[in-house]
Amino acid sequence: MSAEPDGIEPPHPPSSSRTHLVRRWQAAAAVVVVAAAVTATVLAAGSGGGSPRTDAKATAPADGLRHTAVEVSTGTCGRGWSRPQAGTQVFDLHNTSGTASEVDLTDPRTGRIFGEVEGLAPGTTRPMTVDLGSGSYAFKCLQDDTDAVTGPTVVVAGRQPQGPAAAPVNQHDLIPPTLAYQKWVGQRIGELAAGTGTLKADIDRGDLAAARRDWLPAHLVYERMGAAYDTFGDADAAINGTVARTPGAVDDPDFAGFHRIEYGLWHGESAASLRAPAAALDSAVRTLRDGWSEARMDPAAMGLRAHEIIENAEQFELTARTDYGSGTNLATARANVDGTRAILGQLRSLLVPRDAGLAKLDAALDRTQAALDAQQHGGTWTPVDRLTHAQRQQINADFGDLLEQLAPVAAIFEVRRTA
Amino acid sequence: MTDNPHSDLHRRGFLRGAALGVGAVGAVAGGATVLAGSAATAATPSATSPAAPARRKAGFHGVHQAGIVEDVQLSTAFLSLDVTAADRRELTELLHTVTERARFLTSGGTPAALGITDSPSDSGTLGPQVPGDGLTVTAGVGASLFDGRFGLADRKPLRLTRMPAFDDDDLDEAWCHGDLSLQLSAPHADTVLHALRDIARNTRGGMQVRWRMDGFTSPPRPSGTPRNHLGFKDGTANPEVADPAVADHLVWVGAGAEPAWTAGGSYQVVRLIRMLVEFWDRVSITEQERMLGRTRDTGAPLDGSHEFDTPKFSQDPAGDVIPLDSHIRLANPRTAKTENSRLLRRGYNYDRGMDSNGNLDMGLVFVCYQQDLERQFAAVQQRLAGEPMVDYISPFGGGYFYALPGVRDRTDWLGRALLA
Ligand code: HEM
Repeated sequence: MSAEPDGIEPPHPPSSSRTHLVRRWQAAAAVVVVAAAVTATVLAAGSGGGSPRTDAKATAPADGLRHTAVEVSTGTCGRGWSRPQAGTQVFDLHNTSGTASEVDLTDPRTGRIFGEVEGLAPGTTRPMTVDLGSGSYAFKCLQDDTDAVTGPTVVVAGRQPQGPAAAPVNQHDLIPPTLAYQKWVGQRIGELAAGTGTLKADIDRGDLAAARRDWLPAHLVYERMGAAYDTFGDADAAINGTVARTPGAVDDPDFAGFHRIEYGLWHGESAASLRAPAAALDSAVRTLRDGWSEARMDPAAMGLRAHEIIENAEQFELTARTDYGSGTNLATARANVDGTRAILGQLRSLLVPRDAGLAKLDAALDRTQAALDAQQHGGTWTPVDRLTHAQRQQINADFGDLLEQLAPVAAIFEVRRTA
Repeated sequence: MTDNPHSDLHRRGFLRGAALGVGAVGAVAGGATVLAGSAATAATPSATSPAAPARRKAGFHGVHQAGIVEDVQLSTAFLSLDVTAADRRELTELLHTVTERARFLTSGGTPAALGITDSPSDSGTLGPQVPGDGLTVTAGVGASLFDGRFGLADRKPLRLTRMPAFDDDDLDEAWCHGDLSLQLSAPHADTVLHALRDIARNTRGGMQVRWRMDGFTSPPRPSGTPRNHLGFKDGTANPEVADPAVADHLVWVGAGAEPAWTAGGSYQVVRLIRMLVEFWDRVSITEQERMLGRTRDTGAPLDGSHEFDTPKFSQDPAGDVIPLDSHIRLANPRTAKTENSRLLRRGYNYDRGMDSNGNLDMGLVFVCYQQDLERQFAAVQQRLAGEPMVDYISPFGGGYFYALPGVRDRTDWLGRALLA
């Protein structure tokens, strides 16, 4: 990829402004497929759906909500909304043009978005359900390869409180935080290389007690960089790969990295048998470090990663799926909290005006961190299966709540076209 | 009508910030509260089939909670929960949130539209509109809620204790007790699961499921009361709680020695009882019927011909027709002395896969309601100790709870009288 002067991937062309990102673990791939299938179904249903209604009509369909038919095209964006009212309601958006369009319902003065429909195919109608209070609104129609068109401003009178809305985040907004995060990761990789170097030296001189001591700090450095794994590419598997649960899978020659060494260190393997894995890990980390200045993180992935680090911690650490003998999943989860804080720190100034629940997110992070810290005693971490019932419930509760507070972050940082 | 999703509690709180939906037309008829549990909405004994289309619908608001006197529904999830809320303020927020979600889910409506600020507020498993669908949400509190954590020690309902182990019990701690109970019942399994998912999502920080048992009610075969996994009609003889005098005498806790806040609630017992169905199937029909005291095919008492015939124990003092140690005779001897030990049973079948020995893992989620745990459930259970049926069943879990008083109107919430 050609390096831009600012060291960031060039913005996606408008046609692919909303990339579906491949998530870190295989299970997530299925989610993406399902999502795609659902989208297809919706499109099909929409294309079979009703005749275009061009005049303003507020009908009373089965859902009991007010419906308004609205036209979508560059020439007639927003036409049809002539009797504005507050409350939860549905706009039936009908694309009368020959090109797929994205439709946003915005406050034209602040740019805040109240509702959006993506990829509205020509000739189709799809519903947009929104909760509107008093204020001014306008539909914005964004067609591929064309400037955005904003329709007439419509005013909802009265003093009704407004429903949820946020200002969109575009690719440009995300470049500075992505660069800063990328730089931070570069420093961590340096730290990581020091750690894997120490681990390799321990094993080389046959001091397995030292190796068991030095394994965890090195591993945790890696576990704090959760938003960068995609950019690491194949190096992620070489550094932190796991294997299937089938018997004998740990003997797979492709099993490499921290967990391979963990398995050996906590299953009585000899120093000799761990020399090659330790050298391979150290060399993978050094290669990563030496190439990092060429790496380009994807700004569009920032919000998604801020959310998913903890999803992965819940799925793989709280279940001990990734335990290969050290019993340090809670330490890993704790490092993942640090990693989440690191990326949120970069996104914070964008998040403050957009996420009404930010204070709760901060509180949830503190609470989760405290619950995990309570499981560390003089550098030793309670293995997941030794938690008492009450401790387990508390950690589950804290992670569950934290994840609910992180979901808005991913939604808000979906990269949106603004012009 | 749109509810305000940004109440003060939520802004400072620790839960998801329950985004309320828009009530279905009519379902949220303002404060026009139907007092569920009044004679008009209470159930008659379950002669009506649970599959009958014109079922009595329980309103969410009332002096009593819904899901107690109403007939059993086709599908249920019974949950015991551990409260993880840190203090009384958080517990209060938790119960507010449970109330708000229950009100929305039982009434139905359009889930809150959150625009681009969050993932969708609803799972969508019931489609774009939440139908209400006769869902009932019944919440209870366990004795452990009254320990030191929330400063409630002096408010514990008088009779509420940790469920003791009875003779014949084989209790597994992981399937017993809990700070809260929550039963979700509806005519369809998807409605129950949708409600479970919604409530869990909005309360993750405040409570965690301790154990969960899903249950179902079978259709009438061929008529009358639905059958349990032993092949017998189960639920035939229940007190006539449609009569408020009977309900006030046997089910509801009223004024008296109990703390004032408990008025309108009821003691809830849940027992998870495994049935050894393979063993049972290898028992002769005569022996099966003598164990229960009823005819398997019709559900009639062994001295009668129709399901709802009343057994006449006094005419059979030696138990020649209905054995003295049969289940129905021990459970309810129908004497003046035992009259006030009658209780209201609301059991469900459960089925959860296989056991390690290759047997079917199924049984009964026995749920009952009463005014007094000792006078009613415990007395009946003690009379049943050692009954012949014990060889074919194994109680392994459950708990004692106090079903909270009803939520009276839109400003009320579950546990208000307890916590306010
Ligand atoms: C797996 C365990 C159980 C099975 C299979 C079972 C089955 C039955 C059946 C078939 C009947 C007769 C039909 C009816 O009136 O509903 C019955 C009645 C009854 N059972 Fe159970 N039962 C079980 C557990 C219990 C428990 C734990 C209690 C209470 C401690 C209980 C209390 C009663 C009562 C009070 C009656 C009604 C007696 C009457 O008023 O005639 N049962 N049971």
